Amino acid sequence: MAEFNVRSDSVNVEQIMEQLRARIREKRGVDYTEQQIRELAAVKLEKFLDPRGVRSDLLEQFRKAQPAYEPPELPNFAFEDSTLFESHRAPIRWLRKLLLPILKLFFNPNPLIQALNIQARLNTMNAEREARREATRRQLDQLYYELIHNLVVEATRLGIEVKNLKMRLESVSSRLEFNERRARALESVVVYKPSGAESERPPRQQQQHQHQPAPQPQRSQPPPQTTAYAPQAAESAAPAPAAPAGGSPQGVEGPGQRSRRRRRRRGRRGGGSAAGIMGSPAAQSTSDPAAGAIAGDAVTAPETDAVDDYESGEEGGDAASAAQAADAHHESSDAEPRPAPAPDRSEEPDSQ
Amino acid sequence: MKIAVVVQRYGPAVNGGAELHARYIAEHLARHAQVEVLTTCATDYVTWRNELQPGVEQVNGVPVRRFRVKHERDPRVFAKRSDRVFDERHSIGDELDWLDAEGPTSPALVDHIAKHAAGFDYCLFFSYRYYHAYYGARAASGRAILVPTAERDATIGLSIFQPLFRSVRALMYNSPEERAMINAVSGNEAVPGVVVGIGSNVPSNPQAARFRQKHNIRGPFAIYVGRVDRNKGCNELFEYFQDYLKDPAGKLSLVLIGHSLLEIPHHPRIRHLGFLDDADKFDAIAAAELLIMPSYYESLSMVALEAWALGRPVLANGKCDVLRGQCIRSNAGLYYDDGAEFLGTLEALEQNRWLAGSLGRNGRQFYREQYDWPVIERKYLEMFDRLKQEAPRPIIDPLPGWFDRRRQDLRAAEEVLAGLPTGPAGRQQAAAPHRAAADAAGRRRA
Repeated sequence: MAEFNVRSDSVNVEQIMEQLRARIREKRGVDYTEQQIRELAAVKLEKFLDPRGVRSDLLEQFRKAQPAYEPPELPNFAFEDSTLFESHRAPIRWLRKLLLPILKLFFNPNPLIQALNIQARLNTMNAEREARREATRRQLDQLYYELIHNLVVEATRLGIEVKNLKMRLESVSSRLEFNERRARALESVVVYKPSGAESERPPRQQQQHQHQPAPQPQRSQPPPQTTAYAPQAAESAAPAPAAPAGGSPQGVEGPGQRSRRRRRRRGRRGGGSAAGIMGSPAAQSTSDPAAGAIAGDAVTAPETDAVDDYESGEEGGDAASAAQAADAHHESSDAEPRPAPAPDRSEEPDSQ
Repeated sequence: MKIAVVVQRYGPAVNGGAELHARYIAEHLARHAQVEVLTTCATDYVTWRNELQPGVEQVNGVPVRRFRVKHERDPRVFAKRSDRVFDERHSIGDELDWLDAEGPTSPALVDHIAKHAAGFDYCLFFSYRYYHAYYGARAASGRAILVPTAERDATIGLSIFQPLFRSVRALMYNSPEERAMINAVSGNEAVPGVVVGIGSNVPSNPQAARFRQKHNIRGPFAIYVGRVDRNKGCNELFEYFQDYLKDPAGKLSLVLIGHSLLEIPHHPRIRHLGFLDDADKFDAIAAAELLIMPSYYESLSMVALEAWALGRPVLANGKCDVLRGQCIRSNAGLYYDDGAEFLGTLEALEQNRWLAGSLGRNGRQFYREQYDWPVIERKYLEMFDRLKQEAPRPIIDPLPGWFDRRRQDLRAAEEVLAGLPTGPAGRQQAAAPHRAAADAAGRRRA
């Protein structure tokens, strides 16, 4: 408030108050009233998750609120044939009995007595029935309350479960998205390039190969992989006997082996010419099969590093095992001339 | 010209607002006319106990005739009847019973007025809410001039007072807000009226240093003068000022002058000096940086006028229409509606010396123009002259009959009050329901 400033000599209190109030509003932030602030503070963000909102003792509360039922004492009368003539004085009773025949000369009281007797019995029956009905209703009420209680508990539990499931779904979808991204990255890294011999294979042979289902059981085939290049790697590794002997089965590989292989690769890169490593046309024109194999693998150094980074940085999965298979293929191609690429496994009936 | 001043209590030791107002007016009009004061023997406004002798005595050169009060006020009966007429549907009989319970019930005073009213040119009745004004104005009929000193409380909603406002010869209002409120409740725009207010005997040379030395007060301070009471908003003042004390930048202390009916917070910067005489009071106001007026219900704050007369700014409760209106009209005071505004305005007055000085100067000018004694006297005399030239107004309607008194068809006074417009005069608006309800609740608490 110190910088509050009125420049005019003619002071206007209303203007001053406006300025002061504006400054107070600035200080406060939003100009909420006390009532609004209290209301905002009382709002629950997730009402159904508020444990205070769920009364676990609903039934007990109900029982407390509703005491045990006792049928009311409804007034009734007993009416027998002698009721009309009863008296606590014996002479009067005797006199009435004596004069009863005379009374009957004037009117017949029997239907009246019968009617009232029936009415008394009906009253009793009705009262009993009403009491039974009320008791039943109260029992049902208790059941209803119990049911409501259970429903509330179940609804709360379901609500929490739905929340959990939503969170799991989000987690799974994010993982899936990540995996898809990784798969796309790997696909872009591993570029398949057919060699000259493969390209010269007669189409008939390919057709034959397609028409005759390969004797799959005899072949040491890796487990079906989801990625397209994994079968190729396994296929290319199959003819080389050193591949299964020299390494662990596919998908089961220790970090030591991986790092050794990486060192070997780096050593090769260091030894070879840069052009050969980069797979340039100059290297392809040479007769060095190793260079051609490297070129045929088309796994350039940075890309291999990228794959390695993926392997080391992320948890092992399909993509990692596929990358390992690609590495195995790479090593086998070092030992002997590159075999013909395997046909696309996805078209084979047994691969489906 | 012979004038009677009729008031519920009178004397040099009686310091109530309306009573002091009446004394000042009587003493100042005595210079222009023959004035006689008619009052009761009571000095205590709660019990109306007869403490002074009936008969005539001279007070500051003015003859004062006292009459006995018939019965003291029974607080339980009064509270019960107040609840009835303020909060429930009721009858005129209930309102008259309430008036009787409120007091000061002095039929002797009313009889005297009825017998001797013809001997006066005008009878000035102070405080419309009391027995003497209601029945006395009827007794004086065409000579009654009312100084209502009305506040915005439920009493204004009682129906028995509406004919009174319409039938007196003239009304001398304290503020435009009071005038607007009475116009709204009774429709008495046709009755001659003028906003007069009251002056004060402010010394020309108050001694601020003397006060500081006498009471050992150092440093700047804000002052409150009046009864330290919940009804005066003092509890709210304490709450807000304690918030202010938490701010290390604030240097003001609070000095309270007046009898206390409320527990005063224990703090070295809150000083209660009790009741002081006028000289000390004016010295204290002159020594203060500002005057705080926290009251919700005022018809005219004499203390605020005195502060302005001494060139001190006023910080008033903005929920009191009269105080707010006076601050706006005079440009001599700030007002607050809540704690944050109290802190903001107090800090502004404390830290901006130029602002405080300007407000004080405006206040001094406002007092001189509107509330100096020559101005007040002139307004009264002009009104007397005007009334002389006008034909007398019809006599007040007779009291309703037996059946009419018992007809339960009157709305609760709080309801009537809630329907009256609020805000400073000229900017009044229909009462908002929530504000009316809050006001009613506040009054009930008080």
